[in-house]
Amino acid sequence: MKYLKFILLFSLLISFSANALLEVNILKSKEAAFPIVIAPFEVIGDSSGNVDIAKIIRDNLNRSGQFSALSTDALVRNQIDFDFWKEHKKDAVVFGKVEQVSSKVFNIYIYIYDVFSEKSLYQKKITVSNTGFRRMAHFLSDKIHYVLLGQKGSFNTRLSYVTVTDNDNGGRTYRLQISDSDGFNPQTVVRSPNPILSPAWSKDQKKLAYVSFKNNRSEVFVMTPFLKTIPIRLPKFDGIASSPSWHPSGESIALTISKQGNKDIYLYNFKSTNLKRLTKNKSIDTEASFSPDGNSIAFTSNRTGQVQIYIKDLQSGKISRATFEGRYNAKPVFSPDGRDLALIHRVGKDYRVALLDIKSRDLTVMTRNKSDESPYFSPNGGMIIFSTNRDNKGILSIISLHNNQIVELLQKTGEVREPTWSNYSN
Amino acid sequence: MSNKILLLSSVIFLSSCAGNNISELGDKFLDLINPSDAATELADLGGDATLVATDENGGFSINELEQLSNDELIAIAREKGLEDLIVLDAEGNLQNRDQLINAIVESGDLLDAKSAELESLSDNALIEMAISKGIDFELDEDGNLANRDELIKALMDDAAAMLAIIENFKNSSDSFILYFSYDDTEIDDLSTRSIIEHANFMQDNPSISLRLEGHADERGTREYNLALGENRALSVKEVLSLYNLDDRIIVVSYGEESPILVGSNEMAWEENRRVEFSYY
Repeated sequence: MKYLKFILLFSLLISFSANALLEVNILKSKEAAFPIVIAPFEVIGDSSGNVDIAKIIRDNLNRSGQFSALSTDALVRNQIDFDFWKEHKKDAVVFGKVEQVSSKVFNIYIYIYDVFSEKSLYQKKITVSNTGFRRMAHFLSDKIHYVLLGQKGSFNTRLSYVTVTDNDNGGRTYRLQISDSDGFNPQTVVRSPNPILSPAWSKDQKKLAYVSFKNNRSEVFVMTPFLKTIPIRLPKFDGIASSPSWHPSGESIALTISKQGNKDIYLYNFKSTNLKRLTKNKSIDTEASFSPDGNSIAFTSNRTGQVQIYIKDLQSGKISRATFEGRYNAKPVFSPDGRDLALIHRVGKDYRVALLDIKSRDLTVMTRNKSDESPYFSPNGGMIIFSTNRDNKGILSIISLHNNQIVELLQKTGEVREPTWSNYSN
Repeated sequence: MSNKILLLSSVIFLSSCAGNNISELGDKFLDLINPSDAATELADLGGDATLVATDENGGFSINELEQLSNDELIAIAREKGLEDLIVLDAEGNLQNRDQLINAIVESGDLLDAKSAELESLSDNALIEMAISKGIDFELDEDGNLANRDELIKALMDDAAAMLAIIENFKNSSDSFILYFSYDDTEIDDLSTRSIIEHANFMQDNPSISLRLEGHADERGTREYNLALGENRALSVKEVLSLYNLDDRIIVVSYGEESPILVGSNEMAWEENRRVEFSYY
């Protein structure tokens, strides 16, 4: 019986983690990150079937670029040797305890101490079921981020992305997946033998718009992934629709619609089913992204003969060019504070993620890659996730805006592309 | 306690697997039903079916055809309306045996798909199709289609004839794919000449329609490439419009999503910046 239990547990774990995104590469920055020690949590009772909370927290904090979080050999309890940590140049110590209450219920304790003042900064006891361990580790990571830096973290959030794998019939399988912010715990919400692209989440995370080729042409679908309803195709609009972007209110959605071959951006209102034209130009206008206040859109256009980014103020109707450096700037997305755009910028023959200060027009190229795509900000604005190419394979990459540290995530088989980052869940 | 939970979860796990298997079996079962239906229909046709040695799909496999003599192949090609593809030398010997075998297999596959499509259509959809093709049909007193089976056969014959015409055109004209420069929709002289050949072909065969499929290479952003692919197909359509063919052309774009050659190098990119012609 004991053997059987072990095998079952093992196979269940494998089936859950087989498709999780794997962290493969950390390109560290020289710039100082907050030095911190996170000791292994003390376990009282049997917690062997649960994830290692301290490790998830360390990985989270290290991925943000804001922290340099190390473990320690020793279990840390309430008697802390502050002099020892001062000597080893650690600014804070985190430790905790997992206490089994019943077979599925656990108490988790966490303590954060400042090494110099030798004072407690935070302590808490939280009761969780065994299924809540991973989420709790993300929640505690956010707490530590806030307590030590005074800013929100982006850990207790979700990623979504498209994966592409070869299937047994010689074709490909496209999956739209949602995972935790570290790539674990992936769930498939749409699966198709035809290409899926441009997934876009409504701000409340309840609705998902995406482009599908299931009818042999690009069409925009909207679904509510957590209610398991059938995706609804948006009306035909007398043209080919693509590139969805939600208005922050969730009541309308910006789309690129090609009417008689002319591609412009339109705003579709779900309630009134009115279609309002936002751009009017013979050239390609596409890849709209709403500002956080919903008052303007940034978009890609080749109206001058070059591919550049423009911003339209929806109140005044004024359109102004946003990018002036280089001959190719596309796929803009607003930062959560609305001040910057992340975009794809062509340097020589390469396509790289760049950050544009909208007001000063300063453009900073963020990577040295050959073909970056689809940048998206973490909800606290501290990181950008994007897809790029490694050995002819699409992977995800997360760059810290604090010190440009890059962490790469890949899927064992197939490729990953078009990431977006969820808002904070309530 | 924990053992029970594990057991329970494993039961759920296994039963969900079993559920999948059943539904998969169901699909296979359905697949099995259809060919036998087709076989009974063939049997009903009686004498007509003697020449056509069919496999389960109602078409020919390459292996079967390779065992036949040249004369037998020629007979089958004639039967299938692929007469124009037969190339004989001065002594009357078949010159293009391999090509003919491929064409017969291909037409079999396409016609199988066509037949399945027609069978699945409603009477109204069939009538609509018959009108557009100028094929006669009969209505009964209630206004319902009276000769569904005959109409489907007539539409199949029409499809077979069209297939032969397109097959023949494919052999005379080499460019069913036009290629483009980086971030460009311009059509050069050579391509224009090729498009004009297609225009002439469409004018000579008024029942044939064209689907233009635009593609881009992987560089640049996906949505921009989707737009770019459409513009490439549209610039081909623009040339064809000069011949008043607009109504018979549909334009679609796959952007960078459907490459011919996967790879991040100039050779792959050149292959993938293209517009594909497909007639139907």
